[in-house]
Amino acid sequence: MSKSIFLSLVFHSVMIILTALSLPFMMRTPIDLPPILSVELIQITDKTSIPFAAKAAQTLEKIKKKEEEKRIISEKAPPTKKKKEKPDRIPLPEDLNKEKKQIVKKKQNPEEIKDEIRQASEFEKEELFDPSQIAALIDKSKEETAQTLKKDKKITQSNVKTAFATGLTLSQEDALKAQIFGCWSLPLGLPYHKNLLVRIKLRLKPDGTVLRSEILDHARMNQPGQGFYKVLAESALRAIRICQPLRVPPTGYEKWKDLQLNFDANEMLKG
Amino acid sequence: MVSLSNLRKFLVVILAGITLTACATQGKKGSNIAGDVYTGNDTVEYLATGVKDRVFFATNKSTLTTASRDTLRKQAGWMRKKSKLKFAIEGHADERGTREYNLALGERRANAVKDYLMTYGISGNRLNVISYGKERPVNSGSNPLAWSQNRRSVTIKAE
Amino acid sequence: MKKIILLILCFFIYNNSAIALVEIDITRGNLDPLPIAVSPLYIEPGSSDIKDADKIIKNVGEKIAEVIEVNFKRSGLFNPLKKDSFVQKPDIAHIKPRFEDWRLIKAQALVTGKVKVSEDKLRVEFRLWDVVAAKEMVALAFSTTPKNWRRVAHIISDKVYQRLTGEEGYFDTRIIYVSETGLKTQRYKKLAIMDQDGANIKYLTLGNELVLTPRFSPKNQLVTYLSYFRNLPRVYLLDIETGVQEVVGDFPGMTFAPRFSPDGKKIIMSFAKDGRSDIYTMDLKTRVVEKITDHTSIDTSPSYSPDGKYICFNSDRSGLQQIYVMRSDGSNVKRITFGKGLYGTPVWSPRGDLIAFTKVHKNKFYIGVMRPDGSGERLLTENFYQEAPSWSPNGRVLIFYRETKSDSEGKGFSAKLWSIDLTGYNERLIKTETDGSDPSWSSLLSK
Repeated sequence: MSKSIFLSLVFHSVMIILTALSLPFMMRTPIDLPPILSVELIQITDKTSIPFAAKAAQTLEKIKKKEEEKRIISEKAPPTKKKKEKPDRIPLPEDLNKEKKQIVKKKQNPEEIKDEIRQASEFEKEELFDPSQIAALIDKSKEETAQTLKKDKKITQSNVKTAFATGLTLSQEDALKAQIFGCWSLPLGLPYHKNLLVRIKLRLKPDGTVLRSEILDHARMNQPGQGFYKVLAESALRAIRICQPLRVPPTGYEKWKDLQLNFDANEMLKG
Repeated sequence: MVSLSNLRKFLVVILAGITLTACATQGKKGSNIAGDVYTGNDTVEYLATGVKDRVFFATNKSTLTTASRDTLRKQAGWMRKKSKLKFAIEGHADERGTREYNLALGERRANAVKDYLMTYGISGNRLNVISYGKERPVNSGSNPLAWSQNRRSVTIKAE
Repeated sequence: MKKIILLILCFFIYNNSAIALVEIDITRGNLDPLPIAVSPLYIEPGSSDIKDADKIIKNVGEKIAEVIEVNFKRSGLFNPLKKDSFVQKPDIAHIKPRFEDWRLIKAQALVTGKVKVSEDKLRVEFRLWDVVAAKEMVALAFSTTPKNWRRVAHIISDKVYQRLTGEEGYFDTRIIYVSETGLKTQRYKKLAIMDQDGANIKYLTLGNELVLTPRFSPKNQLVTYLSYFRNLPRVYLLDIETGVQEVVGDFPGMTFAPRFSPDGKKIIMSFAKDGRSDIYTMDLKTRVVEKITDHTSIDTSPSYSPDGKYICFNSDRSGLQQIYVMRSDGSNVKRITFGKGLYGTPVWSPRGDLIAFTKVHKNKFYIGVMRPDGSGERLLTENFYQEAPSWSPNGRVLIFYRETKSDSEGKGFSAKLWSIDLTGYNERLIKTETDGSDPSWSSLLSK
């Protein structure tokens, strides 16, 4: 009994001494907050469309130079008009992509191009529009048309460019992802430790509706012990259906008409 | 000179230190628990004058303390005098364990008591072991004191 | 020169355009329960009312839909939509739903059906529709006696559950538990059975003697439990239909912690003698008793793997309660728990992939799961006191019980049944008439 009293006294006095010692620290003035850093939001679109083959790009440059003297000046609308376009629309992909589009429709007028650009997509980030770039694009497209006229049967530069720009830009991809995220109701009963990946190939129409869909790994649908795969696949198909019509980029149809959506429930259901 | 706010802080510290003294564990208040075994006399009944009817155990244990052995020695002495009587030895456990394991633990405790009584010459067929696990607490509280009182083995006269 | 370069590039492109497929990874969705509409079942004209015990049920179509809705809601996987928003009448919806109407209220699935009640027969037909794809997913019909209308609702729930999740359901099941009343120091305990949603409670014993830890046999006809009848704690067998009880085996000491083997032919239990408890089995037909463990420690709470080849059990042979796995003949005993704290009440999942257990650490009780080799320990819930998880037949839900703190007069004490999902979500209190403990889930009644 007395032992405990003694110990109690010792510990209490130790504690009091410690806090007393720390008192001087309690008298300090509050710390100055660091100055607020200003953060700049940079649009990355222009930089995220990575050409597939760097080498090919180089070759392209060479060819371009050789063709410079054959430039034709066409009557295209002045760049300023484009400034009046709605600010929130899909950012234009890399120059190359745009040209490719134009070449594909050989009879395309500049007006037509404008229409496509005007097709505003709601989910767009606010892209700063650089009119000077348009000028560059226009110039290049002039080149391209010139090329096509010259060599019909040979592969044109535009086709070459197709190869380098098969991907969507990050923001386009994110936009599509965000849509599907919102439409997908994950079946809660899925086993959390199995392979929960279902890949669905889609062929889209230009307005964003699905022309046809195909479940890859179809054989898994009826495998015994993989009953959950059917459920998972059905939920993915449901998500796609609910999301129709998909909000798709107004241009570059060739790029996104064939999509493969890899639905993976593992991240959300882990643990 | 000490400023007012600092003085306030100092007083807070002192006050906190004083309130700590209130946090005495039950062990400090004229403690009835030593080494997790109940040593008090509450809940204890008597088979005869000076012969306690029960012994207590530590958590998850069935070992007999010196005090327990002393109690059992007295029980054995009294049993030898009442040679016609038979007894039931009940084993109990506290509620802080799983039900089935507690049934087995109660049996083990009662058996420890039976074995010890037999070393004093009490015949095994006079002693019937029964375990109640945690089903029959003597103290319904949910605190260490109650639990220590429930970890027991009770010797009862059988009809 | 240029032409050659272009030709090379052409080759290059040709290959590239073949793999010009955009792949997008969809790794997120919403985890909300699936919105499902359960339309009240259409009662065919000419149907009579149902006499259920002392009640007369006039609108069994609605009642069945209600039972289904409660099942879905409690599972945590479905969100049954409110009936007042339903536009289509049950009879028409069952023949050809107007999917746009159902899509309007955001239903992704729809259940419709019809019933016909006659004096001694109840015939039910139901359909499950995929509202988004606008097509039928399941169509089934069955008949039974009118008194079984609740089971019809449970069977429909199971079929829908299975179609939409890929797993077997667990709604057409019963739960056996110990109903408790009275003072904490002198509890009155009775064996009770109820439907998994809390309906149809029946008491199997009177409460004169202490009864503990009941279990269903796999065929649900028999029940085994511990009874202190005549102050002798022994394992008993009870036939639910006939009410006949008998002691299991002829052991010269306390037997406890009984369970059935997966084929229902044996009872496995602990036998305590001379301070030690070993695990024994008894064949119900031949009455042959086999000793499975042979150690001076306490070996209890045995549980078979679903294929009957292994047994997990609780032993303190290492000094404290831990979980061990051995072959069903008792050989090859391996310890599987090595974490901090005590482990008890191991139960093997009917899917065979997990073992559920109770863990005690730093004066707190946990319900958790781990793989049969002891890895992947996951604690699902923590409480002042809780234990004895039991699996639903599809291995997805665990039922267990909790007790609350009480003062020295016993005030504040209560024991209640709870359930939780394997994922750790959807923790639910199971309402019982009285306090309850030691719950055990039956297998699917329709099997």
